[in-house]
Amino acid sequence: MTGKNDNLLLLKISLIALIVNAISLPQFIEIISPFWILIFYIYWLIYSKNKAAYIVALLLGLILDISQGDILGQNALALILSSAVILRVKKSFYVSNITTQQIYTLMASLVYLVALLITQITILGINFDWLILFAPITSSIIWPFVRFLLAKLKH
Amino acid sequence: MRLLKLLLPLLIAISFIALDARFSYLNSFRSSLSTLFTPIYFVVDLPNHIVEWVSDKGSKKAELISENEQLRNEMIELKVKLQTYNNLVLEIQKVNLLLNSSYTFPGYKAKLAQIKSISQTRLRKQIIINKGSNDGIRKLQIALSSDGVVGQVVQTNPFYSIVRLVNDPTLHVPVKSLKNGTRGVTKGVATREGGMIVEFLPIDFNASIGDIFVTSGIGSIYPSGYPVGRVVEFEKYANTEFLYIKLEPIVDMSQVEYILIISEE
Repeated sequence: MTGKNDNLLLLKISLIALIVNAISLPQFIEIISPFWILIFYIYWLIYSKNKAAYIVALLLGLILDISQGDILGQNALALILSSAVILRVKKSFYVSNITTQQIYTLMASLVYLVALLITQITILGINFDWLILFAPITSSIIWPFVRFLLAKLKH
Repeated sequence: MRLLKLLLPLLIAISFIALDARFSYLNSFRSSLSTLFTPIYFVVDLPNHIVEWVSDKGSKKAELISENEQLRNEMIELKVKLQTYNNLVLEIQKVNLLLNSSYTFPGYKAKLAQIKSISQTRLRKQIIINKGSNDGIRKLQIALSSDGVVGQVVQTNPFYSIVRLVNDPTLHVPVKSLKNGTRGVTKGVATREGGMIVEFLPIDFNASIGDIFVTSGIGSIYPSGYPVGRVVEFEKYANTEFLYIKLEPIVDMSQVEYILIISEE
């Protein structure tokens, strides 16, 4: 992908992720819903040659924090750490079959969740709904569909 | 170099977290940037706008006349009730003066806002309303519905605002029992059952299911006397000085369309 296409895809993906994220869902579904921004970002990350992946993760995370009214930097931190996981397996991810890609997505989502909860508990010291633990699983389940749809968008 | 590429954004993110959680330095930054996301909420809300528009256009004249008549009747009825209420307020003010009570009824002005979306995230319970700083909405103002307290404004931009609900785990509301005036502070419960718990209620508090808790007015943020929650569960645990008491919010958010944002005059 050329740099221009790269940026265009990132812009499209970010907009779609933010819109999907802003849609109101019943509370039960909201809690277990996938980490949209992460899985959309993973798609961009594996096809992009951009070397500023962590900075992009930081900016995307901050945008999400602002749009959701979360603690500023909370999603940014989680997204940076998850992208570190994906970047480590990027070459393998690119050529792997769907099941292996889902496992990688699950790993990245788990890192995302742990970072999110550690920040939340450290700052606010609150309990959380245990259903949130299913969010990494739904993220990995939905990965093939997201990948298929974004591949259409890319072309 | 590779490590630095990871560490630098990490440190920036952690600094943002520390600055935002402990201080308010980033409020204006957050507020001005949130304006940029207005189109996103507009896109998300577009199907609702279309449905509303179609239903408005489809309303027949006769329906509107009938609705108008009904509203006029309701207005007359409410005016009568308001007179009784005004008399009660005057009476309470006199009693407060006599008792030198801390509960006051300062003048509040209210702005009507429509709920754009119930934007509950995994860790937050909040709504987005169609009024922002351009309409005079400010951070920390209180949101009320016809039934009781909805929550508090936590973020504003020129076009919309985010209101955190009373059952959000980060929102604390000073309350008192309507039955005997015993005071406590509510805190939202993050688990799926939702609701709120009332902290700092003495163990000998005589609770019963269905008791109503209203705002106590302590702290001067929430005006006194607005219903917050109804007791659904209570327990006296050993080795503790406080009663465990759980409330369900009085306001059913699934049925609220308009809310009032109030501020001191």
